[in-house]
Amino acid sequence: MNTVSRLWRSGWTVRLALLILLAVATLAVAGPAIAPQDPLAQDAASALQEPSWAHLLGTDYLGRDVLSRLFAGAPASLLSALAAAAIGLVLGALPGALSAFVPRVGEWLALRVVDALLALPFILFAIVFAALLGNGLPQATLAIGILVAPGFFRIARAATLRVRDSPYIDAATYLGASAWWVLSRHVWRQVAPNLVVAAVSALGGALLAVASLTFLGIGVQPPAPTWGGMLSSDLGYLGQRPWGPLAPALAIVVTVGALNVVADAARDVLGADAPARQKEAVRV
Amino acid sequence: MTIVTAEAPPAPAIGAEPRVRSAVPVLRTVLATLATAVAVFLLATFATFALGAASGSNPAAVALGEVATQADIDRLNHQFGLDRPFLVRYLDWIAGAVTGQLGTSWFTGIPVADSIAQAFPVSLSIAAGATIIALVGGFAGGVLAAVTRGGVVDRLITLLSTVAATVPAFVAAIGLILLFAYAIPLFPVAGYTPPDKSVGAWLLCLVLPSAALSLDAGADIARQLRTSLVGTLGENFIVGARVHGLGPARIVFRHALPIASGPALSTLGVHAPRLVGGAVITEVIFGMPGLGQLANRSALQGDVPVVQGVLLVTIAVIVAVGAVLNLVISRAGGTERSAA
Repeated sequence: MNTVSRLWRSGWTVRLALLILLAVATLAVAGPAIAPQDPLAQDAASALQEPSWAHLLGTDYLGRDVLSRLFAGAPASLLSALAAAAIGLVLGALPGALSAFVPRVGEWLALRVVDALLALPFILFAIVFAALLGNGLPQATLAIGILVAPGFFRIARAATLRVRDSPYIDAATYLGASAWWVLSRHVWRQVAPNLVVAAVSALGGALLAVASLTFLGIGVQPPAPTWGGMLSSDLGYLGQRPWGPLAPALAIVVTVGALNVVADAARDVLGADAPARQKEAVRV
Repeated sequence: MTIVTAEAPPAPAIGAEPRVRSAVPVLRTVLATLATAVAVFLLATFATFALGAASGSNPAAVALGEVATQADIDRLNHQFGLDRPFLVRYLDWIAGAVTGQLGTSWFTGIPVADSIAQAFPVSLSIAAGATIIALVGGFAGGVLAAVTRGGVVDRLITLLSTVAATVPAFVAAIGLILLFAYAIPLFPVAGYTPPDKSVGAWLLCLVLPSAALSLDAGADIARQLRTSLVGTLGENFIVGARVHGLGPARIVFRHALPIASGPALSTLGVHAPRLVGGAVITEVIFGMPGLGQLANRSALQGDVPVVQGVLLVTIAVIVAVGAVLNLVISRAGGTERSAA
């Protein structure tokens, strides 16, 4: 809570970003419930309409209410991004911290695996993954989680390496501290702030990745609304409804932007605890 | 407290004596690149192969769907050699890949290598176009920002490159279509014209997809180049050149730029995977029948051999591009790309 209040006090852009994230989080939980209309109800007579009081953001090519689809599509997009970031955190951070303490062979192998993952073409790999495991949102989420893991690995490893070689760790060891004590008391305190920052920016990256995949039709079946899927269906009607992609595109870009602002602010706020912080974002 | 950099390169032999061009550092770079390449290759192909085997997806289910009987499944599994042990299949596939055989599509029966050969030039054209646009735009922006450091132009370029780097690919692509295909109809909305039909139409249809794909890399190159060029322009030898009476253009382009461009070029290496393999969305939006669209369509159909083939070819290209760039950079400026 202390961190949140310090974030809140670090400027109006951060405050705005936090409010946006609060609104987005509300949508992720209650989006389908507060959607004003049925997101799947088609009405051919009122297709591709301009915004009006009946349809605040207009209607899509099947006459469905865009605002309702935006609300109803929020959980699928946001919660799977959250899950992917969490998977990446677990798969990346733990091996990353441990890699500083294992024999050289293990270290070398871990680094080669990370190199390999970083060299993979991101979206293509996720597509392959979904094709092989069956086209569903859990599969796509897992693929994105694996792909953001190297970012966490490198951040956790870098932070751990910085601590490992510092004199006070040697001192603790000479005083008889166990490996577990050193890890949980000293290493964790250095690594945790960096991981929080990495997790926030990874969340933004994961959200973009989920939107990209659902845009391509990976992870969801057509009638179900997602932000990426809405973009792709609007694409076919740019001639009739050129502002159509604006709503879902803004929803994605504004959320990712707010996450980036908060990640930057968190880096500064938490940076006081981490003397030599590393500025490294997880990139899609 | 000493700050240990994240992944210190094992032996900074190149950085220590930049002027000595012995074969050893180059050989070291080649070997390191090869080690990574082999790791990437084996890991990615083996993992996807294992996933395919574990998922139990089979050609009968893909091609025939719900009506497939057990006899159909067995027959097609035998026809595609899927009744053999996993390791045998994997080694067979790798051996085939070396000789250009990638199996046949479960869906259409067309050899995967043929489909890829057809789609590859499309993707290559877009990636090449994007690289050119990113290099030209990035270098122009970076140099301009560095020489007008602190001024309005510099701030404008910095703002533009930040926007270009944050806007996701599909948003940028849709924006470009709305602007340059609908509002100002300069370029076709979508579709690909092969160069042997009309070179002009081919170039025209490549502009928007290449531009959309280049944004991220171009912005990164501009920012990287601005930083390193500003640093180089503050060095003593630049002051010396100015004292000798050399003109500002000559100083920037002949003296500072060759040294400062190393980091910017290595940025391109980081972006190479995204230029080659990240074109999926761009290709789908612009209706380009390239590798990305082939992979996406096959993935939606569950056509495993095609998807695996595309991934294999893409990784091979990325690894090759990375190796070439590594060599160019290590020979050009002695600026070593970080090892991890």
